[in-house]
Amino acid sequence: MSSSEGLEVVDLAVAWNGVRVLDGVTFSLRPGELVTLMGPNGSGKTTLLRAIAGFEPVAAGRVSLEGRDLARVPPHARGVGLLFQEPVLLPRRTVAENLAFGPEVQRLDATLVAARVAEAAERLHLGDLLDRPSEALSGGERQRVALARTLAARPRLVLLDEPFAAVDPELRAELRSEFRRILLREGVSVLHVTHDREEGLFLGDRVLLLDRGRLVQAGRPREVFENPATAGVARFLGYNVAREGDRLVAVHPTEVELLAPEGAEVEATVVASGPVGDGWAAFLEARDGARWEVRGRSGPPPVEGARVGLRGRRRVLLPR
Amino acid sequence: MRRGAAPTLALAPVSLFVGLLAALPVAFLVGRALVSSGLPGLVAAWSDPLNGQAVENSLVQGGLSAVATVASGYPLGVLLGRYDWRGRSVVRAALVVPFLLPSLVMVLGVEDLFGPTSPMAQALPAVTQLARGVPGIVLVNLLFNVPMVALLTAVGIESASAPLEETLTTLGAGPLRVYREAWGPPSWRGALAGGLLTFLFSALAFAAPLLLCGPRCYTVEARVWSLVRELLAPGEAALLAGTMVVLLVAPALAYFLLVRRLEGAGPGASRRLRPIPWRSPGAWPVLAASVAVLALLTGLLGSVVARAVVAARPGGAPGSAWGALFTGSATAGGIPTSAALVNSLVFAGSAAAIATLLAVAAGFARRDGVRSALRVYLFLPLLVSPVVLAFALATFWRPLLGGDAQVWLLVLLAQATVALPFALQSLDVGLAAVPRAFREAAQSLGARPFAAYLEGELPLARGALVTGALFAFALGLGEFTATYFLVTPAFTTLPVELYHYAATRAAGLADALAGLLVVVSLAAFLLVQRGGYRVLL
Repeated sequence: MSSSEGLEVVDLAVAWNGVRVLDGVTFSLRPGELVTLMGPNGSGKTTLLRAIAGFEPVAAGRVSLEGRDLARVPPHARGVGLLFQEPVLLPRRTVAENLAFGPEVQRLDATLVAARVAEAAERLHLGDLLDRPSEALSGGERQRVALARTLAARPRLVLLDEPFAAVDPELRAELRSEFRRILLREGVSVLHVTHDREEGLFLGDRVLLLDRGRLVQAGRPREVFENPATAGVARFLGYNVAREGDRLVAVHPTEVELLAPEGAEVEATVVASGPVGDGWAAFLEARDGARWEVRGRSGPPPVEGARVGLRGRRRVLLPR
Repeated sequence: MRRGAAPTLALAPVSLFVGLLAALPVAFLVGRALVSSGLPGLVAAWSDPLNGQAVENSLVQGGLSAVATVASGYPLGVLLGRYDWRGRSVVRAALVVPFLLPSLVMVLGVEDLFGPTSPMAQALPAVTQLARGVPGIVLVNLLFNVPMVALLTAVGIESASAPLEETLTTLGAGPLRVYREAWGPPSWRGALAGGLLTFLFSALAFAAPLLLCGPRCYTVEARVWSLVRELLAPGEAALLAGTMVVLLVAPALAYFLLVRRLEGAGPGASRRLRPIPWRSPGAWPVLAASVAVLALLTGLLGSVVARAVVAARPGGAPGSAWGALFTGSATAGGIPTSAALVNSLVFAGSAAAIATLLAVAAGFARRDGVRSALRVYLFLPLLVSPVVLAFALATFWRPLLGGDAQVWLLVLLAQATVALPFALQSLDVGLAAVPRAFREAAQSLGARPFAAYLEGELPLARGALVTGALFAFALGLGEFTATYFLVTPAFTTLPVELYHYAATRAAGLADALAGLLVVVSLAAFLLVQRGGYRVLL
């Protein structure tokens, strides 16, 4: 990708009171690409988003969008749309007035503003809600209005900060698919922050993994999922991490085989077990104190208190 | 005890206190005057040109003071609420000092700064206009209230939603549009609340009209005092007082509504707004206006302290006034200053204790909020002016207490009544910061609601409680108007003595005493600052 396209973040650092909460972060986004940024709580995901949007002072490094260095560009002139976990709508205004906000501050003429409002409303199926005050909307409706309003301003980059975290699970699945479809059709670059690994792997064309302020892995969702680069990434993706000799290995809970304890590589006691979704889950404690999670689909779950042997069907070697 | 009875019981002492010491006496005062003089008396009171002039003065001085104070205090509030600078927290905390001072000290400060003998008047004689008449009164009101407007503006700004501001910015809104949509409206609410409170305090000002202008500038407060004390017309005074209470109901209610909105901060209030960069266009005008206000306040307090240090009796050496004050050779109210100091400390300490205990009991019920009508009722002492309060207390309670012998009790109760709204408000702010989950956890562990409050929530709100108590103490120490109305010579307090010295132009003694009050107020401020809580009022 040439530097004149999409978003480019090079060696970015953000410091709070002299302590670097982001350090050496480098990545790029192609136009129209949807990338998810994942990591545990406190890893610096939201700080990275806010630094790109211009709300966090950058200690070092460079952020450029479509070839333009953003260092001296104020947040309102960056062309970057930001959506929060809690949708923030203008109080005491209708949906239409909210949608019109971006085009209006860009000083577009009234007919163009109206056209943008109608277009955004149509994309997010908000036609029936246009005259409704923002206070009278449900959580899902508010989030859809917030996205429509962002799109009506025609940003070159959309930053989503866990926009589905506050909606209930049923609606979350629906909104995820809807947002992905709309954003891809829009052709805008999207950086989507989430600490929900399933959401991140499902939505992203690529995923970035942040841990303690550093970018530790990037790649296509399946590549990253199947080959976690560090123990931290493996744990975040739900793997069991165990020591095998002088090496660390990662084993996914669905790849753990339960055996008789005698002669097994790992011997463990079942601490808790029970049904989960269409299968079961068991939590075990190995003799060396390591915790294991095992997931199965067939047969009954192991009995609590039982001693079992464990073997990883597929093991990922982690760097030392 | 049935469910719900405990909060009602907890509210009983404070409700009874406000009822017996504010609502009932004032109703009795006005009711008795209405019954005895009837409608013709009321019409006569209203048609008296001097009474009309007093009402007009109250409204004009209150209005001018409110406008001038909001115009001066708003930039300072913005500087405190939106810009990041070294020393901000110290300045913010120190702004409470002028509010703790008796307004008499402000009057003397304005005379020291702009009066005919001030260094500034030597260089620019026209400034003496600022030390007398309506301009002088407005200036005193401004200096007394400008910190409150600035603080309320800053509180309003802090209630603004940071996510809203950032969302609008990413939609392309520039700084001015973001101001209009995101943080301007809450800042206006704060400033307006401060303006309304300035109007209330200024419309009821007492010392400044008396000392800087005289009868032609009397507010209703001063006129009521004059009718009772000088013209011996208590019936007419009561009718005028009742009229003023009615006139001030609307601004007082508007103030309460605004403060409630400030307390119920917006959805984004949990995260602070980003500081505005100093290179932004509006930064320097805000800074310039703020520095001017701070310089004026500092200059005023500085000149009071400077005069106090060298205060001399006529013909005496610099500092000789201090000796005269404390050796007993100078007496204004009939007792030496040291005795007046003891009176002040005892009254203020007792009043603070009463107000704090009532606030603690009420806090149990009020932490979940109370009905608006009850809230207004509890804050009635703020609505009833000190002179009207003292007049009502004297009319209703003095005969029942056996005349002047128990006047000390009336002074003490009057000071507690004046301080009560501040103690209530301070504890409210502290209790609001204690997570509700804490109480629920304590109760789920077996603590009864009141035990959970006393042993759990109250210790967590200790800072606010201490701040409220110290604030009540400082207000009692500086309380002049009601005390002056009620007190007999044996129970004279420092502010009353200061008034006597100022009124009789015993300048050296007045200067020294004003300095002493500044020092005591500064000590109270330092203690309040240690509490770390703010008093929203």
